[in-house]
Amino acid sequence: MQPSETPPLLSCHGLSKRFGAADGIGSVLANDVVDLDLYAGRIHALLGENGAGKSTLMSMLSGWLSPDSGEMRLSGAPLVLRSPAAALRAGIGMVHQRFSLVEALSVAENLALASGGAPDARAAAELAHSFGLALDPRRCVAELSMGERQRLEILKMLALGARILILDEPTSVLAPSEIDALYATLRRLADEGRAVVLITHKLPEIAGAADEVSVLRRGRMVARNIPRDPALPDGWDMAALSGLMVGRELPADGAASRREHGEVVLRVRGLRGQGQPPAFSGIDFEVARGETFAIVGVAGNGQEALAATLGGMTRPASGSVEVLGRAIGPRTGRDLVAYVPEDRHGAATVPDLTLAENLLLSTTGSRGAFFSRRAGARSAAAAIRALGVTASGPEALARELSGGNLQKFILARELAKGAPLLLVEQPTQGLDVLAVSEVHAAIRRAAESTAVLLVTGDPLEALALAGRVAVLFRGRIAGVVEASAPDAFDRVGRLMAGLGVDVSNEGGPAVGGPAAGVVAGGAR
Amino acid sequence: MLAEVFGGMDVQGLASLGQIAVKSSTAVLLAAYGEIVAERAGVLNLGLEGMLLLGALAGFAAGAATGDPLLALGAAACAGALAALLHAYFAVSLGVNQVLSGLALSLLGAGLTGVLGRDLLGAPGLVLGSVPLAALADLPVLGQALFNQPLLTYLALLLAPVLSWTFTSTRLGLLVRACGENASAAYASGVPVRLVRYGCTCFGGALAGLGGVFLSLSYTPGWKEGLSAGQGWIAIAMVIFATWRPLRALCGGLLFGVLTAAQFSFQTQGAELVPVWVLRAAPYLLTIAVLTLVQASARLRRNSGPPANLGRFFHPEG
Amino acid sequence: MPLRLVLEPRQAAAPLRALISLGTALGLAWAFGSLVFALAGAEGLSGIGAAWRAMLQGALGSGYSVSEILVKAAPLTLTGLAVALCCRLNLWNIGAEGQFVCGALASCWVALFMAPGLPPRLLLPVALAAGAAGGAAWAFAPALLKARLGVNEILSTLLLNYVAVLFMEHLYYGPWRDPAGFGFPGTAELPEAVWLPTFFGTRVHLGLGLALALAGALWWLLARTRWGFRARVLGLSPKAAAYAGFRSARITVTAMCLSGALAGLAGAGELLGVQHRVQDGLASGLGFAGIVVAFLARLNLLAVPLAALFLGALLVGADQLQTELRLPGTAVLALEAALLFGALLGEFLAANRLRLVRRGRKEAGHAG
Repeated sequence: MQPSETPPLLSCHGLSKRFGAADGIGSVLANDVVDLDLYAGRIHALLGENGAGKSTLMSMLSGWLSPDSGEMRLSGAPLVLRSPAAALRAGIGMVHQRFSLVEALSVAENLALASGGAPDARAAAELAHSFGLALDPRRCVAELSMGERQRLEILKMLALGARILILDEPTSVLAPSEIDALYATLRRLADEGRAVVLITHKLPEIAGAADEVSVLRRGRMVARNIPRDPALPDGWDMAALSGLMVGRELPADGAASRREHGEVVLRVRGLRGQGQPPAFSGIDFEVARGETFAIVGVAGNGQEALAATLGGMTRPASGSVEVLGRAIGPRTGRDLVAYVPEDRHGAATVPDLTLAENLLLSTTGSRGAFFSRRAGARSAAAAIRALGVTASGPEALARELSGGNLQKFILARELAKGAPLLLVEQPTQGLDVLAVSEVHAAIRRAAESTAVLLVTGDPLEALALAGRVAVLFRGRIAGVVEASAPDAFDRVGRLMAGLGVDVSNEGGPAVGGPAAGVVAGGAR
Repeated sequence: MLAEVFGGMDVQGLASLGQIAVKSSTAVLLAAYGEIVAERAGVLNLGLEGMLLLGALAGFAAGAATGDPLLALGAAACAGALAALLHAYFAVSLGVNQVLSGLALSLLGAGLTGVLGRDLLGAPGLVLGSVPLAALADLPVLGQALFNQPLLTYLALLLAPVLSWTFTSTRLGLLVRACGENASAAYASGVPVRLVRYGCTCFGGALAGLGGVFLSLSYTPGWKEGLSAGQGWIAIAMVIFATWRPLRALCGGLLFGVLTAAQFSFQTQGAELVPVWVLRAAPYLLTIAVLTLVQASARLRRNSGPPANLGRFFHPEG
Repeated sequence: MPLRLVLEPRQAAAPLRALISLGTALGLAWAFGSLVFALAGAEGLSGIGAAWRAMLQGALGSGYSVSEILVKAAPLTLTGLAVALCCRLNLWNIGAEGQFVCGALASCWVALFMAPGLPPRLLLPVALAAGAAGGAAWAFAPALLKARLGVNEILSTLLLNYVAVLFMEHLYYGPWRDPAGFGFPGTAELPEAVWLPTFFGTRVHLGLGLALALAGALWWLLARTRWGFRARVLGLSPKAAAYAGFRSARITVTAMCLSGALAGLAGAGELLGVQHRVQDGLASGLGFAGIVVAFLARLNLLAVPLAALFLGALLVGADQLQTELRLPGTAVLALEAALLFGALLGEFLAANRLRLVRRGRKEAGHAG
């Protein structure tokens, strides 16, 4: 497949986009003279780290942003896009990472919104059928799973006659088995003559789907339209692509070292969440000192609510969470849990306060009526040093830090509490590759002296850090997998998709700590 | 105690009570519909009280000057819509705090009508009385309550099903709801979000203006300062009570009307039972009670939160 | 048209932003005020100019008028602080007017009915404390409903204003009416022992000093104490407050009651320092004006007294206009609204820069 054989369906030349005034402080050149060619019939992977400029590029292609300079051509004719609507008219459809669906409306109403006319359930059903995407048009979007929402987004674009389909990080919300179904759908759409673009920062994902790859780094296109090499097992030299993406060598991941586990630190019994139906129920497990235990699940299966309860932010409807025999709740035992919540910019820190003040957020109750800014500044400086946070100092506002630096600051703050349990929730979401490896290293170091509970949506992260991985499906623990088992990844993937061989063993089996029965991990 | 007041009431008394109840709900209903339309599109407009006053004065002045009911209604609707346009500019184009902009609009309405209306205080003007609907008005009790009312009251009764149908079954309603629930998704689908929001805010303002002119031409004919007496605020509470649905707002509005009528009834027949000031304060206290009930009852709130993007600024490149 | 206006975000220093915001507020109020004067019958530009001069003369023309500004600034500072404190916690207290009334009623009750039983030295402090308590009590119900059930506090506080005024009218038309007042609606004059001391032979009373001291104390409370830290966190991010394990409901109730106490104190000060009896006109919009004061001060507690002085000058000047242009008392509400709209526009202009660009160039930017 040579890129030069046929003319491209869409070509971009010298696209640049700057945010902030050109002369101002804090101005960012998000795209710097970027070229890109998209061909009908091919799936094109656009690789790049977070912040490399992928989203900016795609926002320009889909009419959300207008480029400062450069031009686009559609089938050779100049193309100017002033709005997403204009892009849709030109046949360019974008599926954002955050779906642009109206949750309060039904499937049919969302389709009608996009394609014009009044809502019509029967027409919507026929449309879904014609593209082989199963969806009930009468259901409210709020009730749909992430995979179903993604199908609806794709269907919307197809209903509008999209010839170029752009998907931003499409796999981040899917279970592994759903990913295969997505790839099959995309292949079929490409074979029908569409150009498909997959934006991602995960290398393993392109191997299964892409025909060609481009790499974006710091706003510049560093590699363009590299075709798949049938001679290589993955299709590309992954190490070389990784080097292009990051620009330097990554520190090697240290394998989870085998350690003796200490006494049981965290004991969770019959935990059931608030609400009807509860977000989670029948949760039992134990984590010992020196052990890392992961709870993994596709978004929306209850792990957000579970993490909030385990961290003591919300009360359970029934059941107990105990650390070293003391109950954890909104008013009790907060000093026993070092908690790194998912929401870095709203819950773990207050963006408009300084780092010194943010440090005092989770270390309350120790001193009297006055709060000591000096002590806060001292501790903040120590936290900054401990994990090598890049910040101007303790008086820097939290909002001024990058995601990775803020996460390192939060981790350092929580670790400094010296609590027996470290609870980390989605610790690397949205971070660049380097920050991910630094955060992972910090969690591994912490696991040497404390019990670590990792709640994540990423099975690879869970398997890389944890000894045991529990899979949450529809609010229940569908099974627990020993990470060292040879088929651990497949098994976790099946459980996440609800295809569990272990669903019959809901709840209970995770109890008993490392010595007790591991349900799905036959490798002990 | 209730028996003492209502016990001696005959059919005629009940009919007139019903008529007063429906009539009393009109201004609150029109204002509440207007607020529902604006909020469903995502714009919170706390300026209802000001728009009621501006509509009341503009309608009264136009009516007094021309004697033409249509011109009076038109002037009131235009005054309300213009005031809403000011709010829409601040809320939709500038993206400032919508609570504050709405409060400023309420202050503006009170201040401006005070200045402009000082020569009209107590002046004679147009009166829009009841228009009985032929034979229907002769029905026992209901006939008086539903079919012997001023024109704007009929409008208030009819608008609920019309708006409800528009929201659920038409493309226009779909666009409005989409703008209020998820503006950026609507924009991505090609909906002119800001235009829809401007339109809905101004339409809401026009309805509030009509609610105001009902007060100054039909309910208590004549102009006086602050004649809306907080009905704009009660209408906003009604929107929450109605969980943003026109038909429920109709029920809430009629409930308010019944309470008002009961209050009149008490004032004439039962004043020694309940002090007058408590009766006069009752609408405000009961509105707070109703708001509390809605918040406390999971059943009333089920599937009915505010529009997800209510009060949130939308800018295409933001 | 070859030129068009483009907006772009700007990073301005805080003092510059405040300056732009304030300048715009004044500019818009001036333009709108001129329009109101014209509508009210001022003839031509000279008539409008004369109206402004009359207002300025009325506000700053004599020592007496300047002292009257200080008299108004005392309650305005307190109600401004009340609104600003709540806003710092992301709460809206639109009920300062009602809390003002209840504060006045509570201290009136102390002065009229408890005075005989109290030692004279304690009378004034008790009356003031009762005022604060009355205001806090009036804010307590909306605070509790907000914290426990999430009942919209804008509506509940606002609706209670009407109730408070009706209650006050009931009292001075009914049970509290001065028996020796020839049927005039209003209470008897309070005993002189509870009057706030005044200065320099003017009506400027001790309430002004109290208000200034409270502005400083409130700033210190928010900036330097643990409670203030928690309150600020709650205002900036409720999720972070939950993460940190703060008792958010309790902080909300405390803050709103504190806010009510400030407004109640304003009412007590107005009663004990200026009016000396509860009668019609006691609640003259000083509570609502607190909203304007708070936002002119951009929620900066230390700037609230300055904003209160400014608005006080506006109110005193507007009194002069009532006689000059026959303007009703509500006219000042229109000016306050213009100030608020102006402050909002100013916030926008402080955050965005207006720039003229050639229309052609912008299009070229889009296309190539």
